[in-house]
Amino acid sequence: MSIDTEWLDYDVLVVGSGGAGSHAARAASEAGAKVLVLSKDPIGCSDTKISEGIATVRQCSADDDSEQTLSENLRMAGADLPLSKITDAFATDSIDAYDQYRINGLRPPIDAERQTPQALPLPMGGHNRRRSVGHANSGIAFGHASCDAVIANGGIDYLEDNWFIDLVKAPADDNHPAGEVIGGISYDAARGCLVAIRAPSVIIAAGGLSTLYFPKTDTMRGNTGDSYAIAARAGAELVDMEQVQFLPFCLTSPPSYEGLLCGEPVTASFLGVLRDNNGKVILDGVYLRTRAECSAAIMRAVEDGRGSPNGGAWLDMTANKTPPRSGPYFMKFLQTALPSAYRNARQAMGKAAARCDDAWEVRPGAHYHMGGIRVDENGAGVAGSGDGETKSGVSGLYAAGQAMGGLFGANRLGSTSLTEVAVFGSRAGIAAARHAQSTSVSDHLKDLFDSAIHNTGTHFGKPGKTSAAKLRQELQQASWRTIGPLRSADKLAEFAADIERWQTELNDVPIPAYGSWNQSFIDFQELRNMLDTASAVCAAALQRDCSVGGHVRLDGKDVSLFSTPYSTVVHRTAHGAFDSRRTLRTRTPIKRALTYKVQEKHARLKASLLRLMPATLQDKHLEKRYRAIMGASGATAMMPGGTEAATADAGNV
Amino acid sequence: MNVTIVTHRDGDENEVAFNYQKREENERPMVLDVLLQAQLDSIPDLAFRYGCRARNCGVCTVDINGKPRIACRARAREGDRISAVATLPIAGDLVARRDGIARQLQGKLAGLPRHNDLNVEAPDDYHALTACIECYACLDNCPMHARNFDGTTPAQISDKASLPDPANGYRWGNPFSLLKIQRYRLDPLTTDQGQKAGIELANSLGLDACTSCPGCKCGVGIDLKRKVIKPLLQDSGLESPAKN
Repeated sequence: MSIDTEWLDYDVLVVGSGGAGSHAARAASEAGAKVLVLSKDPIGCSDTKISEGIATVRQCSADDDSEQTLSENLRMAGADLPLSKITDAFATDSIDAYDQYRINGLRPPIDAERQTPQALPLPMGGHNRRRSVGHANSGIAFGHASCDAVIANGGIDYLEDNWFIDLVKAPADDNHPAGEVIGGISYDAARGCLVAIRAPSVIIAAGGLSTLYFPKTDTMRGNTGDSYAIAARAGAELVDMEQVQFLPFCLTSPPSYEGLLCGEPVTASFLGVLRDNNGKVILDGVYLRTRAECSAAIMRAVEDGRGSPNGGAWLDMTANKTPPRSGPYFMKFLQTALPSAYRNARQAMGKAAARCDDAWEVRPGAHYHMGGIRVDENGAGVAGSGDGETKSGVSGLYAAGQAMGGLFGANRLGSTSLTEVAVFGSRAGIAAARHAQSTSVSDHLKDLFDSAIHNTGTHFGKPGKTSAAKLRQELQQASWRTIGPLRSADKLAEFAADIERWQTELNDVPIPAYGSWNQSFIDFQELRNMLDTASAVCAAALQRDCSVGGHVRLDGKDVSLFSTPYSTVVHRTAHGAFDSRRTLRTRTPIKRALTYKVQEKHARLKASLLRLMPATLQDKHLEKRYRAIMGASGATAMMPGGTEAATADAGNV
Repeated sequence: MNVTIVTHRDGDENEVAFNYQKREENERPMVLDVLLQAQLDSIPDLAFRYGCRARNCGVCTVDINGKPRIACRARAREGDRISAVATLPIAGDLVARRDGIARQLQGKLAGLPRHNDLNVEAPDDYHALTACIECYACLDNCPMHARNFDGTTPAQISDKASLPDPANGYRWGNPFSLLKIQRYRLDPLTTDQGQKAGIELANSLGLDACTSCPGCKCGVGIDLKRKVIKPLLQDSGLESPAKN
């Protein structure tokens, strides 16, 4: 081993530089901590930057949008899996946290009368109030804010092109039963060295796991499950890992566009339906359905051998465009409601599809991970029964953004993730800075770093015959089949066995000895994280033997309204496998849950009646409804640059 | 489809021929598709950056036949030569070191007084500049950026040890840095003092290089010349408004 090591000392180390990492770094720095940000991609180049740029801001349209209203909205949408103290934190902080973006240069349209950011005209993706704010340039505007928070404002040290490898922990003692974080080891690819960082607080904000499903995903390549794998290897618990959010309408071809978003349930509008390859309707009232329902309908048809040529189904919107009066409104709506998705559809499927003369071939794609590192409302790692306790968790470990679990449970409301990263990034930053002020990393723990550095260094100059790229592709294809939108106990068990085999094969990936931008070493580390994360998702998916939210078990029932909700908790054992268990959650009072259900049924019924109306009457009625959404001008100001417009989810409310 | 991929390993440059196999009969692959297939079938540890595949994240820029292109939205053609961008030092294969660009702005406009009313809308030009995805295609042919490398590019300098260390941030600016400065100046929260500091920063990064330059080209179509360079030159007094 010849690779050099650079030693650094910080109060707070932040892994990741997207929305969560940048807010965490700024908050910790403002709280007086000496902060280092490590990022494998260029600063700010994260899912936040490529998002649709719509954020949840409580009370931006109505004064009665109380903290309780929003908090309960999150919990009920998440099938009671979210923890109330975490949803409360989101609701309490959402206004101030959003303002942090504005301090860093985000400039939304303003509601002059209310003197607040301007809410979009309809409640989005499952919200019970209008509280979603759209932005010019979508997520790119948020990317600038992330970058400016870390770079332009100064006072924060950062290193990009850095692959964080593992946390370093002091052994457990009476005060720290799960051990104590004392820093970590990173590979600086650009400078060709290892970096050993001594820090009493580490915030994991390294994003999600969607790359497990590549190319069936619309997210950043860097989502290789780093957050979960790093935390799990350090002994942290993970919660609701089976809850992967799939967007139902992603492109299937041509290959360059595979996985990119082309629409949301709302895109199907009043008369759009999903058809199987035989032309049979497999889902109607699509615009009122949740993302999970649409995804499940498509995948069940595929499973049944009735899928489209590229393993999806057909989104048929012809009925919307044919009527003489309402048809032109629909086309305008389609083109402007979700402009980037429509652009993807036109480029990928051509003119006939863009005119809706042809049905669109669609397939679900991985978008977001709702599970994650088990934390409290300040992002501090917790463990134990019930909601978990910080004193049982890994001391000094924090998580924010997609890395953390417990906020969304089984389903995420539209436009919430950009607010999530601001709320919990800031909270974790402050908590981590406080922890660092009361703790220090003692010099005699250097041995622990030395062994981590040695172990990492031994990989350089390692012979082998396995291609990391091929192994990764094998894992990605299998992930789609097993821990994808449809799951079953048999397939999950097979997958678990495959993971063990791949973990052995991973050690046969050759890694040259040179230090500077050693791509083989990078691939090795990312694949190692993907395998650990896949293993965690698999264990959780086996534990949850019924269907709820993003988790659909072909061999299990849908969860009953009357059953007691539970979250899954997994942790990595000494042998590298994941153990799983359940922890009970509090059920929403039956009366409220029933009201929710009745309203949902009512909306569906109205939609069915609409489809049965005589053509002329239907056309007139629809024209009126489009005009109400779009205004007399015919131009929808509905979702500028947005694709979070799952008003179908709003049908639940 | 035959292409050439230029690799850089441990200081050695190599030209590797690769024959792309179309996955569909009429496929018109992007350069990124070619790189992904090359990694899978031929060069397992080929290093290149990519992210969103939809021209939003700005990290996959490479040179195609010597011109910077965003790999996920550039069609590959027979005979293409794919290499790392020539305007930045190479870290490995098609990966350029980007960090010296943004780092030159670190903390430079921090600590100045700002207006505190967040409920004000920004002008259209502010949003026009926010469309920048940081692909760094604008560094191509930039005389200001070239000052960091004796008026040429890092690729042209044989003694790599003499290149400036990107970890310190580059001494001289570029269209991206100027865009960030002008965007800051267009922000309604920026005070007169901030306006002045912005101009001073642009000057110190070598804005005078723009007076004799025909103009820069943006990877995503922002009118850099009219919306960034011209107003900065006017306000710095380097070019009299009458001339335009």
